[in-house]
Amino acid sequence: MKIYETAVKNPVGTALIFIGVVLIGIMFYIQLPIDLLPDIEVNMVSVITTYPGAGAEDVETNVTRPLEDALNTTENLNEITSESRDGVSVIMLEFEYGINMDEVMNDVRDKVDMVVGFLPDGAEDPMLLKFSTEMIPVVILSATAEESAGALYKILDEQVANPLNRISGVGTVSVSGAPQREIQVNVIPSKLEAYNIPLEQIAQVIANENVNIPAGDFDIGTQTYMLRLEGEFQESRYLNDIVVGNYQGRSVYLRDVATVKDTLESRVQESYTNGQRSASIMVQKQSGANTVAIADAVNAQLPELQKNLPPDIKIETVMDTSDYIKRSINSLLETILLALVIVGIVVLFFLGRWRATIIVLVTIPISLIGSFIYLFITGNTINIISLSALSIAIGLVVDDAIVVLENITTHIERGSRPKQAAVYGTEEVSLSVMAATLTIIAVFLPMTMISGLAGVLFEQLGWMVTIIISLSLVIALTLTPMMSAHMLRSSKDAKVSGFDRWYNKNILTLLNKLDAGYSRVIHRVARRRRATVFIILFIFIVSLVVSVITLKTEFMPATDNNTIAMTVEMPTGTRMELARETGNRITQQLKEKYPEIEVVSFTVGVADAENTFAAMQDNASNLMSYTLRMTEAENRKKDIYEISEEIRLMLAQMPELYRFEVTPGGGAMSMVGGSFVDVDVFGYDFAATDEAAATLQSELGKVRGLRDITISRKDYRLEYQIQFDREKLALNGLNMSTAAGAVRNRVNGLVMSRYREEGEEYDIRVRFDEPYRQSLEDIENILIYNPMGKGVRVRDLGEVVEASSLPQIDRKDRERVVTITGSVYGRALSEVAQDVSDVMATTDLPPGVQLELGGTVEDQQDTFADLSLLLVIVSLLVYIVLASQFESLTYPFMIILTVPFAFTGSLLLLALTGQPLGIMGYVGMIMLVGMVVKNAIVLIDYINLNRERGMSIITAVTHGGRSRLRPILMTTLTTILGMVPLAIGTGQGSEMWQTLGISIIGGMTFSAVISLILIPALYSMMAGYGVRRKRRKHREVLVENGNQ
Amino acid sequence: MKAVMIVLDQAHYEMIVNDLSSLNIRGFTSWKEVYGKGSNDGFPHYGSHAWPSVNNAILTVVADEKVEGLLSYLRELDNESANLGLRAFVWNIEAEM
Repeated sequence: MKIYETAVKNPVGTALIFIGVVLIGIMFYIQLPIDLLPDIEVNMVSVITTYPGAGAEDVETNVTRPLEDALNTTENLNEITSESRDGVSVIMLEFEYGINMDEVMNDVRDKVDMVVGFLPDGAEDPMLLKFSTEMIPVVILSATAEESAGALYKILDEQVANPLNRISGVGTVSVSGAPQREIQVNVIPSKLEAYNIPLEQIAQVIANENVNIPAGDFDIGTQTYMLRLEGEFQESRYLNDIVVGNYQGRSVYLRDVATVKDTLESRVQESYTNGQRSASIMVQKQSGANTVAIADAVNAQLPELQKNLPPDIKIETVMDTSDYIKRSINSLLETILLALVIVGIVVLFFLGRWRATIIVLVTIPISLIGSFIYLFITGNTINIISLSALSIAIGLVVDDAIVVLENITTHIERGSRPKQAAVYGTEEVSLSVMAATLTIIAVFLPMTMISGLAGVLFEQLGWMVTIIISLSLVIALTLTPMMSAHMLRSSKDAKVSGFDRWYNKNILTLLNKLDAGYSRVIHRVARRRRATVFIILFIFIVSLVVSVITLKTEFMPATDNNTIAMTVEMPTGTRMELARETGNRITQQLKEKYPEIEVVSFTVGVADAENTFAAMQDNASNLMSYTLRMTEAENRKKDIYEISEEIRLMLAQMPELYRFEVTPGGGAMSMVGGSFVDVDVFGYDFAATDEAAATLQSELGKVRGLRDITISRKDYRLEYQIQFDREKLALNGLNMSTAAGAVRNRVNGLVMSRYREEGEEYDIRVRFDEPYRQSLEDIENILIYNPMGKGVRVRDLGEVVEASSLPQIDRKDRERVVTITGSVYGRALSEVAQDVSDVMATTDLPPGVQLELGGTVEDQQDTFADLSLLLVIVSLLVYIVLASQFESLTYPFMIILTVPFAFTGSLLLLALTGQPLGIMGYVGMIMLVGMVVKNAIVLIDYINLNRERGMSIITAVTHGGRSRLRPILMTTLTTILGMVPLAIGTGQGSEMWQTLGISIIGGMTFSAVISLILIPALYSMMAGYGVRRKRRKHREVLVENGNQ
Repeated sequence: MKAVMIVLDQAHYEMIVNDLSSLNIRGFTSWKEVYGKGSNDGFPHYGSHAWPSVNNAILTVVADEKVEGLLSYLRELDNESANLGLRAFVWNIEAEM
């Protein structure tokens, strides 16, 4: 028994199976984690090697280059970039998207192991670090304090970070920006010299005094006791009383040579929120954890935590990624619901009967909810990709059910009882329904197999739509006939309701008029087929020319996520106090001018090495990093791009700033921040590349639509170098490292022991008191003790000279590079890229310098290449499906001819709405290949049928067109109108899908209108040739017979 | 005894077979999927792409007096849905075993 027959005969079983699917789907939906994007494995690995004491150029030659040469042969490597800084080399390897990163890590480790032996002795073993999206904090809180500012770190760590860490799924919670407690032993050099005590000795004595030592067990009588020695300082002031040396038979106490301060560490990164000193608390998640659940749990716990904090500490949310996710997901859910309603109205409009409409619409929730089962089983999340798949599929899933229902209705009208009509009606169309579904699958399944970024993005979309469409096919072949058999009434039992009367009077007459009008048009078209084909060809050429001229491309649409990131730099070497003051002034101005900005927070100063997230970003005493959080997009007039533009103008008027960068969306990592153009200047010679970069920067500044043009090369940094004389060192029994170490201990400080209190440890830092390390003379006067205990001054061992050095050398693809980056504003990426290429072509370059265009343009080109390949594969697959269904090569060719119209239609509508073509629009065009051919299939199939029934060509075409107009209009309108909410979406994150919706609507509409005219004309032309050829052959046979 | 050959659109099949017993007819033989077209009007039943409808055939041998009842039942059914197609032909049975 066939599947539809079984379904019709077993209504209870069939209904319950689908109810079961829906229940399981709903159950899984509730358990599915919610995230912004599918789990994308980040394709970056970095190799970090420290080489203490080496300058940037030494690091480049001795560490970076050998490593780069070895790593360059790694498989699937896309790009290799490196930064060589003082004492550290960071190599970033970017791999192709969608490959197994575990294998890559092994590969990289092997390559690194090969060269480790050749690295200089002083270099430490390279460390491998795999980037992942988990590093991006889920929530950033900021705590402001007044009286408690001093103890902020401890309070936050104990009362906020620790409780938050206990939330399941939370990876790490780190507190930064709050200074930690530190015991400072500030030594006065003249006194040390007077007592002849080296600074190292003090540190050593403190370390020796500050110990707890177990002395072993011993027995007294029948008992065993433990013997312990508790030498650790109970209080920091006890440090004052330790004896650090002897002078002329008297003890020298620490208080004689130094002051002990129990205070806060200096030179840390400071953060300010809305102008108040604050600390930030970053919550990172464990891999695979549910971002939204974590953020909700954190927010739920905050009021509780706030209660236990001192009243002057206020905690505020600076960034909450879940907020954006929730809004995007909700706006997509709204889009889906709206599409559902629209599709329902369209179906009701054409079918005119409640029962039929319900039978068709039932397909939508079942197939959509069923797809959640797939998501759950494969461990995916509910994210904007999987949800948009639902939104795209809504208009498509009803198609199969409509075709089946339509045929069943025909049978009923002919007099069959609903049950028989359901079985035989379904049987008749089952093959063509399967073929139509196959064309859609032929488009979406290859999407799961393409490489590159597009592959990563659209893999889930491809699977989701494939599964939803397959499910809808199963439903159309089982549930639809079953419901039709039991819900539809045979024509003699039908009752006429008020709605039916209204429908028959108003809408049916309208539809009939439409049918009649269309059949008149086709009749004329079929008679003047050649003229029609030429006119349409002309229209095509015009539309093609117009769309090529107006074509603008971009990579990803810019979305508004309420965040602007901003880095402001003062001249290199500016003291942090000055930067902080300027930073606060900027904050004040921002708050005054832009009521849209809710939270302004910025950090300034050098980050603590222990805070990985902060250390990964640029940080320096002269650099302020801002995060601005706006009010919700719908509550303000200006979008983040306009506000950013105004902020740029405002900052440009502050002469004290060296340079600044305003990044709407919060940077490249967030995938929402618009487009960038990079120009890479390759060349070994620093001076030549600097000069070329400077010319380019000023030239690019004139390009319209390019903002924030920055040069990647850091400025030469002013510094003092101590140049020891090796001979003098040797004479005094010293060497380079002991001498350098001694200077470091006195200026930077020496930490050899830690003070312990209530389970926490604090550094005891011994160094010169601040007044004694503030001038060149102070440095020159440093007394270094040699192994014989004799002190020698630095000025006797060498000299302190002023110098400048490059703090960082960037390389890309194993060559030195300077990258000039600009962000695109208010103009399409393709136009800006064209202008930039022009500038690059006209710039005079010093010898040995080459330019290359990169940035988003590069990503765009790569992705467009991948998508173009996909387009070719998809078109071929669709052709194969069609050719095997029609068992002919000409009909599929006619059908495929409607696809180019779909493309120009999309491009025209994109141009009309002022949207550039990005990857979303391109993907929309690929989807169109499978969608638009459906109309032509239905039309040609029916015309063929009429011809087989013995009609003449023109009658077959006219009759076929007339009777298929409604189903074609109905399926096309469900698809088009189902996309409308996506295309005009106003919610959070809707910008991303807008071009996709527009491209599908434009293509569908244009190609539907054209194919309704073109297919009849082409068909009658080709069939006409066929008939004439047959006649000629027949005549030849007749003539031959006559001759014989 | 008369043989009644009923050629019918397959949609009629179940109903007719059910109703035979209420007409006091027990025995019958049926063929599924037979093709053909009417002499005067109606859609051809070819089971093909152009004419997807399919006929069934029922042969039943009944007592002479039952023939008229059966035919009038079938006529009524055919009038109800003329488009589906239903025809019956009667001939004599020479002998039986």
